[in-house]
Amino acid sequence: MSTPVLAKPAPEPAADPTVKARPTTGQRLTSFMPVIALVVLLAALTVADPGFLSLNSLTAAVRTSAPLVVLAAGATLVVLCGGIDLSIAALCSLATVFFALWLPDLGGLTTLAIIAATGAIGALQGVAHVLLRIPSFIVTLGGMSIFTAIALVISDAGPIRVADRDATHWLTLYVAGVVPMSFVVALVVVLVVSLALALTPLGSWVRATGYSESAARLGGAPVDLVKVAAFTLSGACAGLAAVMLVSRNFSGSPTMADNLLLPAVAAIVVGGTAITGGHGSLWRSLAGALVVTLLRVGLPIVGVPSAYEQILYGAIIVAAVALTLDRSKVLIIK
Amino acid sequence: MTTDLQTEPGPRAPGSPPALEVRGLVKHYPGVKALDGVDLVVRQHEVLGLAGENGAGKSTLLKALVGLVRPDAGEIWVRGERVRLRSVVDAADHGLGMVFQEQSLVPNLTAAENIVLGSEGPGVRRGIYRWGTMRRLAQEQLDKIGSHIDPLARTDSLSFADRQMVEIAKVLRIEERTAHPPVIILDEPTSVLESKEIDTLFTQVRRLREFASVVFVSHRLDEVLDVCDRVAVLRGGKSVGEVLAADAAPAELHRMMIGATGSEDHYHDGAAERSGEPRRPRLVVRGLTGKTFRDVDLDVHAGEIVGIVGVHGSGREDVCRALFGAEATVAGEVVLDGRKLDLSGTRAACAAGVGYVPAERKTEGMVGPMSVADNMTLTKQHARCSGPLVRPGKQATLVDTWIERLSIRTPHRGTAIQRLSGGNQQKVVLARWLVAGDVRLLLLDHPTRGLDVGARSEVYRLMRELANSGVATVLLADSLEEAIGMSDRIVVMSDGRATKEVAAPAGAKPTPLDLVKEMV
Repeated sequence: MSTPVLAKPAPEPAADPTVKARPTTGQRLTSFMPVIALVVLLAALTVADPGFLSLNSLTAAVRTSAPLVVLAAGATLVVLCGGIDLSIAALCSLATVFFALWLPDLGGLTTLAIIAATGAIGALQGVAHVLLRIPSFIVTLGGMSIFTAIALVISDAGPIRVADRDATHWLTLYVAGVVPMSFVVALVVVLVVSLALALTPLGSWVRATGYSESAARLGGAPVDLVKVAAFTLSGACAGLAAVMLVSRNFSGSPTMADNLLLPAVAAIVVGGTAITGGHGSLWRSLAGALVVTLLRVGLPIVGVPSAYEQILYGAIIVAAVALTLDRSKVLIIK
Repeated sequence: MTTDLQTEPGPRAPGSPPALEVRGLVKHYPGVKALDGVDLVVRQHEVLGLAGENGAGKSTLLKALVGLVRPDAGEIWVRGERVRLRSVVDAADHGLGMVFQEQSLVPNLTAAENIVLGSEGPGVRRGIYRWGTMRRLAQEQLDKIGSHIDPLARTDSLSFADRQMVEIAKVLRIEERTAHPPVIILDEPTSVLESKEIDTLFTQVRRLREFASVVFVSHRLDEVLDVCDRVAVLRGGKSVGEVLAADAAPAELHRMMIGATGSEDHYHDGAAERSGEPRRPRLVVRGLTGKTFRDVDLDVHAGEIVGIVGVHGSGREDVCRALFGAEATVAGEVVLDGRKLDLSGTRAACAAGVGYVPAERKTEGMVGPMSVADNMTLTKQHARCSGPLVRPGKQATLVDTWIERLSIRTPHRGTAIQRLSGGNQQKVVLARWLVAGDVRLLLLDHPTRGLDVGARSEVYRLMRELANSGVATVLLADSLEEAIGMSDRIVVMSDGRATKEVAAPAGAKPTPLDLVKEMV
């Protein structure tokens, strides 16, 4: 009781390793829910059509999923910081147009230029959000509209064919003959960003910002920098996703990625990342993106009539979120 | 004087049963016996104090009384009639209402809307608000407690004290539901109030006694003894006795709460351990001016604790935040150890060795869902890193050392900080500034708010030890007594200016009255 608190304690007979607050089985299960949901869905599709579980359809599914994985991964960072990025799809579409326009001049450097440009645009949105104190929802809603308009203007409102296919050829290759290169690139993005979050103070800062921005700020975390960085990465990911889309469609179009916004948001929440910020991970979004993609490509394959497809899609998304959301970490469900 | 509960004599004529009686209430939570046979009697028209340390079972008992918790065993009797309470509405029907510790008003509604919310009665017809009727209903309630708040004022434009009056007016609506005087429970009503507002509240509580019974809960024993007729003490989920407030002293109550004689020396004044030689001021503030304060001068020496006292609106909180770079300044200079302090942001302040413990621990002091370890190393990231990389082993060793040194009671360093008790949370928040060993100036904004007696005294001891190790401390205390006890010097702020400086060395402490004269 009266030992000085600041004095070093007497050398202990080795730290006691038995004090461990192990997560309960239920908690462990919750953190694997996105993967479980993915497996269950795969099983269900296979039961509905035994022919579904083939190498061909799986390869097609992961190849389709690659741009969505990348988009969702970038936006997850913004969501973890407690914001939202609604501009990713519009920015991605704009980037496909840029790609088509720049390719003749820049050649092999186009991919890097696109990623740098979209990263800068993302950073600009982040700066607007932080400095002008405008909610990220509004900033990126405005951005979405602006990017769509710019894309329409510079493309003359139509697709632009990409004649030089060499620049994106590498993305259409297969690793070990079966895994699409674009999906491998998406995995690398998730892996690298996840490692950066896990191994540096960034992870701590991002989560603190997302859970409680004022506490993070008063704790000396570089809240503004972290947010701008998140928007920058989100923009850069939109650029990379654009390159993937171009590699498949051989054209740039001002509306090419527009239908990916809601699937990307769905992927994030199906993964169990809290839309209120703080809790979640990129791995979860990867699993979420695969669930969403499987639904989109799988339901028609197993013979669900297209009229019912959307109903089933909506119902399964809601059910999946009900499964994956870790309610012990999220106090208020908004 | 202490008397056993069961043999407590009193005017319990058969015709007038107690307003509320609790018999052998038991409530288990996994691993914890929150209530372990609590008995309690609240007579009609009396103010009963409820005292006990954090974890003594006060909150659980109160929740059981308003139907938020269902007891595993035991009985609740209202006016000689056994009741089962399943919800707040149920409790209200029996005349039991509670003013919650965390204020429960909706900030963007008017006072009138808040008062009738949930019990609109004639204030709503066919689903449509009738503003005139509602205003009248609210005005009636406010008149009952003699408050002059405008019923159409938006709640968030009211002061904390006024909001509390609105809460009391709201809870008195339960009178409509019962034929007899209600029982009003006030859970820690003073924790967010300044001393002048507390006086107003006490007047109100005494007034309430005219037409209701009151259960008053506070961790400040002087307050409990001041306003109550009787005080019942809980310890470890059991009733351990009660005292008549008129002839009990805080020390006696404290002894009952902790089960042993409490130390009179809460403040650990370290005068004897410090040398008398004058030191260079560590922090020099000249002409600091911001939105709510002007021309503030302040010197704090190494090893010194300087208390800033002032009423609500004196600007002392903002000065504190400004020194940490969390509040904008327009003029003035701040020098820390001979170097000009950059006030542009919290990062710069942290890097310069300034630490800040905010008053709102739950929303500003800690990141609730994050672990004890991550909260502790949030600021001084370099203390757990090698280069840019986090070293989990380094972090674990560091955090465990500090858990040990500050005797933080947590199952594990990985436990979410929000699961800890208030005192342990606060120790983690304090440790955040200590882990790197580079803190030079500590700004403590109500560091003991909401802590129980034991946790308070640990925080006091820690503050004194930090001071003795050379840290300069600025303290915004929870009470005048705390400011006087802890500080070496006290600066009085009034209307945004530092108006007076009072020396407070051990053995020659000013009295609260001395300070109050300067504050108003």
